[in-house]
Amino acid sequence: MEAPQNVERDVDKVLHKFSLAKQHINKNIDDLLEDLQSMKEDLLSSGPSDQELNQFHSNIFREKLKRSREVTSSLGGSHKEIHSSVSKVGKTIDKNFSDKLLSLSKEPTFENSKRMELLNKVINEHFLRQGMLDIAESIAKEAALDIPESAQEPFIEIHRILASLKERNLQPALEWAELRRDLLRQQNSSLEFKLHRLQFIELIQRGPSHTEDILLYARRLAPFADQHPKEFQILMGSLLFLNQGLQGSPYEHLLEPINLLEICDVFVQDACTLLGLSVESPLTVSLAAGCKSLPSLLNIMQVMQSSSVMWSAKEELPIEIDVGASSLYHSIFACPILRQQTTRGNPPMRLYCGHAISRESLNKLVNGNKIKCPLCPVESSPDDAKQLYM
Amino acid sequence: MDDISALEHATLKVPYENLNKNFRNCQKVIDREVLHVVQATNELDRCLDNKDATVGSFVSLIDNVVDKLTILKRKANEAISLEEESAQVCKKRLAHLKERDRCSGSALSLWKKKRVDRMLVEYFLRAGYYETAVKLARHSEIEDLTNISLFLVSKEVEESLLRRETVTCLAWCNSNKSKLKKIKSTLEFNLRVQEFIELIRTNRRQEAITHARKYFTNTNPDADQLSTIKRIMGLLAFQPGTSIPQYRKLLDGTRWQELVDQFREENYKLFQLNTTPVLTVTLEAGLAAMKTPYPLRQNDQDDFLNTCLISQCYSDDCKNPKCPVCSKYLNELAKTLPYAHCAQSRLVCSISGKLMNEHNPPMMLPNGRVYAEESLQALAAVNNGKIICPKTKEEFTLEQMEKVFIM
Repeated sequence: MEAPQNVERDVDKVLHKFSLAKQHINKNIDDLLEDLQSMKEDLLSSGPSDQELNQFHSNIFREKLKRSREVTSSLGGSHKEIHSSVSKVGKTIDKNFSDKLLSLSKEPTFENSKRMELLNKVINEHFLRQGMLDIAESIAKEAALDIPESAQEPFIEIHRILASLKERNLQPALEWAELRRDLLRQQNSSLEFKLHRLQFIELIQRGPSHTEDILLYARRLAPFADQHPKEFQILMGSLLFLNQGLQGSPYEHLLEPINLLEICDVFVQDACTLLGLSVESPLTVSLAAGCKSLPSLLNIMQVMQSSSVMWSAKEELPIEIDVGASSLYHSIFACPILRQQTTRGNPPMRLYCGHAISRESLNKLVNGNKIKCPLCPVESSPDDAKQLYM
Repeated sequence: MDDISALEHATLKVPYENLNKNFRNCQKVIDREVLHVVQATNELDRCLDNKDATVGSFVSLIDNVVDKLTILKRKANEAISLEEESAQVCKKRLAHLKERDRCSGSALSLWKKKRVDRMLVEYFLRAGYYETAVKLARHSEIEDLTNISLFLVSKEVEESLLRRETVTCLAWCNSNKSKLKKIKSTLEFNLRVQEFIELIRTNRRQEAITHARKYFTNTNPDADQLSTIKRIMGLLAFQPGTSIPQYRKLLDGTRWQELVDQFREENYKLFQLNTTPVLTVTLEAGLAAMKTPYPLRQNDQDDFLNTCLISQCYSDDCKNPKCPVCSKYLNELAKTLPYAHCAQSRLVCSISGKLMNEHNPPMMLPNGRVYAEESLQALAAVNNGKIICPKTKEEFTLEQMEKVFIM
């Protein structure tokens, strides 16, 4: 990444010249002031103030004034010289940074009130997700968004619970999970068990004086023994060290703070899934993808423009863009024979040998009641091919 | 080109234009003060030629030069310090941009989060949501990295225009005079026209005529300005409540909104800002890149030409709650965007969301559903070796899964 460096070099040059100019101006002015001072002293020492100037003084002063005028006039010029360095900064910025932005939409979002409203709602949700409620509120107010209370509540609740989780208060989270036990079960969520587990560990740390509470709490853990047999055993085993404390015991790992961090993550994930939301803010993900794709798109546009190819269709992006594995959400299967994306009417088929091709290719390649895989030497029966659902 | 080059032009160009402006101001200050010193020196010179000049008068003239020189020194130092400050703003932003290459892991995600916030602040400022912009910038500590001060100035100007006052905007025009001249701005002229109209509206015709004499006599005769002047001079003949449409339109308050729009546009031009914010452009590019196509044919007999594209994000059987384009509002926003270009097969496991590849190969269950091996192993591990297909709820064992080779 050289662009910022290139600009910085020019800015440094300008800064250097500024300080030189300052020195230059100060030094020259100081010299002139000194000159004038000595002139004044000379005069005052030569006689009373109502005396007329003598020829001798006049001649010296005339010389001095001539020089002083020259020096002063040159000061403006010396600053003016910096201009070329300053404008060089601007040129370097223009050269290294693109001032063109590529709008892909047929109807640009900005200043289109309907689209702006959608975008503002996305932004509002983005801040609600992050628990930045004051900013969410502020944008809702300034953009005059009509956001029902019910839409905000789940986020506010999640953040309230998360805040207490971070302060090691598990109660609100436990209540939340108990209310949604069935839904969480359906998702194979272990949130409730993990919360109980953490609570249990907290109790153990209080020491043997709380033995009764601990045993009572163990009963609440019992219903989870089925699902998490191993961890349940570990927890019960840790009771052996109740008297001397878990520190230094084989169960020390139970005390690690990572347990709390993990539960925060699990909670956010489960809560988002229950709400039908993604864990990451869609705005953040989309912008990250945009930051990855804009440079390539700008590049290809430049090439297309210089070879006067117009990208007129605007139906499909002109190049494939790598947005990174984490930003892929849909499977694409392109038939290796037809080089076409498969469709509902032309689905992918798995041949007996394991290779996947589209049904249309398969139909074309069938010879009698045999098909030879186009990708490997295996021959098989078309009846063994199976439709895939990606 | 990388994303920094593609997206950060305005981040640097605005402080540069400021630097440039401060430079020109500084030059003006120095030139003016130098002139004062030279004038004072000339007086001193004339005093030498004067035969009757006394030492006393000469000394007082020397003091005058000393005064002027001291002022020059002070003002030049102040002005250069301002220049240095604006150059430091550039440097600060450059340092932030350079930071990106040096950080990784969580520092990098923090940097990226800041970038999102910077884009949002810029969008808020352009959309006129100033309060939110300032709040967010303060919260994320990015005040120095965003062009808030520029927009707060324009906020003031815009608000004063909407209050039907021209003073603030005229002062703005004056402080950017040379640049506005360069881009052949008509803003100042239009402001003067508006002042004239306001005088008519309040029935101060005599003042209106004086105003016109003062400001319209030296306008550019070849431009449309002349015809505008002719038109507005016509107003002199009508009452403010006139029913003639052309003149009513002139007296209409919407002209103030037009002035706001013109001011905004010229302000952007002055600082070489794009008229669209980076946020929406980046968002659109990102959505398009993720809007995966899903060819659909009317029926199976149709050839490829009759294939129409829809997006997987708009087809119920392909939606993924994790996909931004599938989410409620962005889905609507992405409707008019182009599709991603997809020539390569790539399978994403619907259980884990992970990409399937040779390390995590796709496996087919007997019902034809394809999932990643890792995910199926994980399912079996918590369920005594049994796999329940998440889509069809059928039960299978690990031994029943078969590898699929995707080319």
